[in-house]
Amino acid sequence: MANQPKIIIIDDEEVVLDSCTQILAGSNYEIAVAPEGKLGLELVHQINPDLVFIDLKMPGLSGMQVLENINELDATIVTVVITGFATVNSAVEAMKKGAYDFLPKPFTPDEFRMITRRALERRKLMLETIALRREKELLRENFSAIVSHELKSPLSAIQQNLYALDRELGNSLTVTQKARLDRMKARIDDLIKLITSWLRVLSVDIGKIRESFTLLQVSPMIAKAVESVEPHAIRKDIQIITAIDETLSPIEGDEISFVEALVNIFDNAVKYSYVGSNVCIHAQEKGRNIEIAIADTGVGIAKEELPYLFNDFYRGKSGQTVEGSHGLGLTITRRIIESHNGTISVVSEPGKGTTITICIPTIVQQNS
Amino acid sequence: MDQKKRLLIIDDDPDFVEGIKSILDAADYDVDVAYNPKDGLNALQTGKYDMLLLDIMMGRGAEGIMIARKLRKDAKLVEMPVLIITGIREQIAFLFPGEAVHPRFVAVDELVEKPVEPQLLLEKVSTLLQRAEERKAQAG
Repeated sequence: MANQPKIIIIDDEEVVLDSCTQILAGSNYEIAVAPEGKLGLELVHQINPDLVFIDLKMPGLSGMQVLENINELDATIVTVVITGFATVNSAVEAMKKGAYDFLPKPFTPDEFRMITRRALERRKLMLETIALRREKELLRENFSAIVSHELKSPLSAIQQNLYALDRELGNSLTVTQKARLDRMKARIDDLIKLITSWLRVLSVDIGKIRESFTLLQVSPMIAKAVESVEPHAIRKDIQIITAIDETLSPIEGDEISFVEALVNIFDNAVKYSYVGSNVCIHAQEKGRNIEIAIADTGVGIAKEELPYLFNDFYRGKSGQTVEGSHGLGLTITRRIIESHNGTISVVSEPGKGTTITICIPTIVQQNS
Repeated sequence: MDQKKRLLIIDDDPDFVEGIKSILDAADYDVDVAYNPKDGLNALQTGKYDMLLLDIMMGRGAEGIMIARKLRKDAKLVEMPVLIITGIREQIAFLFPGEAVHPRFVAVDELVEKPVEPQLLLEKVSTLLQRAEERKAQAG
């Protein structure tokens, strides 16, 4: 909104135009008037106002039509309709069509000033909201560039020099000095990984995932995901047992993202399992959905923590310190599953284990 | 004995450069550095390098890509092996929409991510140099 708010008053009664102009004369507004709808709309095009008062009952183009035209032109222009008492019903109609408020005739100067102030406040808020939304979008778009360059670059430079120092000093360091150097490398590595997955969260653009949807078979994707977490499982002596129904209907989705989601869940199951236990993956068709259940007999999740499980940056605090977790995996997973029109849910009992269930509609359902 | 191989690093982060240069120095390569694309291109024009290690995000954007493209249009430098060292794999995909993982500008290029483990760096460098030698031998 420019420094001086621009107001247009459209009314066929000259006395209304005159008095309204006079009422607002002392305030810092730029005011234009039009005696009928068509001229009024021309004015709107010309001066791009912040606020338009429209008399509902005018000869020629009706107030309602003027209102609709303004709304189509720019929905952020605030409109207030002026009505006679007998036409309060049409005022309600006007508000349904996008008018911000209505002003019943006759009105006092104070009423008019007040509604003007409120309407302009509304306009200001709308413009601010739009600006903020645009800023947020820009931030999101630029964030990956900013983060990778401004945060990752210095970390990479540090890490690169630690690598080099480690090689150059390798033989002359004491065991504890070497251990400290290794810890530094590990810490920096964690930071770089954190930034990378942070970037993932910001860049998982649901709309973009949907653009690349194809027909997918569930069981090869499960196999792929199992393969990718197997090394981790073997290290912890955990067996991954799969039970997948033979005849699962296909789903519609993005293979890379979907496998990523599965890997995140499988990997969590392994991560939170006790050494030597089992992780069971069961996939079946239930009604018009594919249900994939991942069950572990691990540390489990306390009841009060369950609601936060899929939130950004949440990570379990149930007793155990967990290897390399920064609480983003399940957020990404949830977003991916939801973009596939699916749901993800969790049942858990501390000390007994956790079962995470993904439900994805089969392609048959989506067509019908 | 073979003459020392001459490498050129183009990267605008002096600290990072120190980290890879000292690894390459220790492996008995002759390493020069240019800290901006312009100096880098000038240095390349002298034609005395066996290989280029190239950063992508320099200056106001992906200026490294501009260098790689110029290289491929230059008859003298088109066969120069390039090791792209970048901090931003995903953005590279973004810069080249439709290319799934990362674009190899041509077959003689390789890409590693920052930071790069010394072992991996040395392997990539020696592989690229060796391939270039073989090509030269075949051509000659």
